[in-house]
Amino acid sequence: MNKYKIIESSFRILRRNKLNTFFMILGIVIGIAALSLTFSLGKSAEKQLTQKVKNLFNPNNILITSGRVELESGRSSESSMTNLKIEDIEMIVNEVHGITMYDVIQTTPERDVIFGNKNISTAINGGMAEGEIVWRRSVASGEYFSKADEKSSARVALIGTKIVKKLFEGSDPVGSQIRIGAVPFTVKGVLEERGIDPHGTDLDMNVIVPITTLMNRLMNVNYIAGAKLEVEDASKTEEIAGKITSVLRERHSLNNNETNDFSIVTPVVVKEIIGKMNRVFTLFLPLISGIALVVGGVVIVVIMLMSVSRRVSEIGLRKALGARSQEIMFQFLVEAAVVSLFGGIIGLTIGLLGAGVFMSSMGLTFYIPWQTILFGILFPIMIGVLAGIIPARKAAKMDPIEALS
Amino acid sequence: MIQLKDISKIYGKDGQQVRALDNANITIEKGEFVAIVGASGSGKSTMMNILGMLDRPTSGEYYLENKEISTLTDDELAKIRNKKIGFVFQKFHLLPKTTAIENVELPLIYSNRKDIRKLAVNALAKVGLSNRGKHRTNELSGGQQQRVAIARALVNEPEVILGDEPTGNLDSKSGLEVVEVFQELNRSGKTIILITHSGEVAEHANRIIRIHDGKITEDYKVEKPLDARTELAELKKVIN
Ligand SMILES: Nc1ncnc2c1ncn2[C@@H]1O[C@H](COP(=O)(O)OP(=O)(O)OP(=O)(O)O)[C@@H](O)[C@H]1O
Ligand SMILES: [Mg+2]
Repeated sequence: MNKYKIIESSFRILRRNKLNTFFMILGIVIGIAALSLTFSLGKSAEKQLTQKVKNLFNPNNILITSGRVELESGRSSESSMTNLKIEDIEMIVNEVHGITMYDVIQTTPERDVIFGNKNISTAINGGMAEGEIVWRRSVASGEYFSKADEKSSARVALIGTKIVKKLFEGSDPVGSQIRIGAVPFTVKGVLEERGIDPHGTDLDMNVIVPITTLMNRLMNVNYIAGAKLEVEDASKTEEIAGKITSVLRERHSLNNNETNDFSIVTPVVVKEIIGKMNRVFTLFLPLISGIALVVGGVVIVVIMLMSVSRRVSEIGLRKALGARSQEIMFQFLVEAAVVSLFGGIIGLTIGLLGAGVFMSSMGLTFYIPWQTILFGILFPIMIGVLAGIIPARKAAKMDPIEALS
Repeated sequence: MIQLKDISKIYGKDGQQVRALDNANITIEKGEFVAIVGASGSGKSTMMNILGMLDRPTSGEYYLENKEISTLTDDELAKIRNKKIGFVFQKFHLLPKTTAIENVELPLIYSNRKDIRKLAVNALAKVGLSNRGKHRTNELSGGQQQRVAIARALVNEPEVILGDEPTGNLDSKSGLEVVEVFQELNRSGKTIILITHSGEVAEHANRIIRIHDGKITEDYKVEKPLDARTELAELKKVIN
């Protein structure tokens, strides 16, 4: 058999039956586009999420938050949101060994930040002077607020680059007077550009003031939202988390039958969350698009079966002229593979372009996972050949006389 | 060359069986031009299918060059058809949307021959269609289409050319042109088996076999076969 000629004639047949070919390719294009879109989006999102979480959360970090956070739903129960105090954290640090540093967190709802006649509305965060180290924050100009600022509830603020852009239009904000709501503050520093965090919060819209200032002058509360601790030995975080739990339960006088009114997030928990998200990104979404691909395969089966029935006389003729069953099968499998390969390449291009456009519109960087390219080419050929087998066998089994009469 | 011994072909189940061929015995030598004639339903196409190894007889033996073929597999038969037999059908059976030259190449695709394109060009020249190679088959007249089919039948240089009513769908002049090609091929040494129900077409052969209800009722030599070339020449004169 002259394989080259058979392949050539497969191309010719596909070219001359444009409508059939179009629909078969379309089926594969949709499947592969959906698959490569979701898969590469998932991979990109996963990579960035992991990166960002790593930036925020090191293996030696423990996060304590007030209220019981349900990991499944991310909700926290309202009742216990006011139970966590700065003193709780101070006591933990005193009683549990191995904690080297910590920062506490509290956040206001959106407030107006005003400079001159310009204003912008954003949530205000409170923290300790140690936040500079604990959160790996640094200031691009000016300086971080000090322990003394914290002690005296000083009205000083650190502001993000987007706030600077909105309010100051290029002029140096350090030392300027701004107002947060009605309270006047001095800008002590400008925070370095950070981008968007995994929750979608724009970190460059951040305003940070000393925790005491926030609690006393802006919110008038005596409780905090949480704290981030650093432990000396990363291998001991789980052990330390356990000790913290018992200290806090005792301090909050919780009975054995009462649940925690706080949550503790350790690297193990974070890993679990990331793992769960990754499964959504790289397993669940592609699975759905995989179904689209299977549908594409079914389209090929159906159209090719139709085409086999329409080409009975062609098949009979080829057999009469000396084609063996395997040569007939080869021809139909080539047709299926060619169609699928084309569909795959087009689908891959559309999917990756789509993913790229989507990611960049979200302000995220997009990278092309090599798996997408590989699967985008191999998968459709596989599907095509599999889908081609049924029609090809039907064609190969055909009796030449019946086909010719 | 070809020998059929007590060949029968029975269609259908018990009760309503049709004996399409009934103990037929035929021997065809190399270089013969045989016409098989008979009324509609007499078993001509059945005979053609068996001679062409497209179908297997219900009983009887088929010797090709003294070799019995009934034990061969379908794929082995396909190889033999490819090498030894050229088919010409009543309905042409050319591939649609495909050029004449591509149609002629078809048997070669399933052979081991090289220079496929060149062989196809030569075959088209033999049937006088050198200038039609690039034409799609639907752009050709019926007579031209049948000549493309003949080119396809002879491109792999088979020893036998089998035609089942090759003139059946053609007007008398185009039919005569096709018969002329067959006679020409016969002169160059090919064995020709032509199935037809037209007595006039059959008169161009050297031998006529008549089938009736699946039985061979007559088998005789034609003393003076008609010559299609002279008939065509006369036809031309009449028109001019
Ligand atoms: N596949 C089949 N199943 C059942 N009966 C068949 C089949 N093919 C042919 N026959 C019967 O066998 C007999 C011979 O048919 P065949 O086609 O050989 O006739 P024919 O001489 O070629 O006729 P025609 O000149 O009309 O083409 C007919 O009675 C026909 O009905
Ligand atoms: Mg017939």
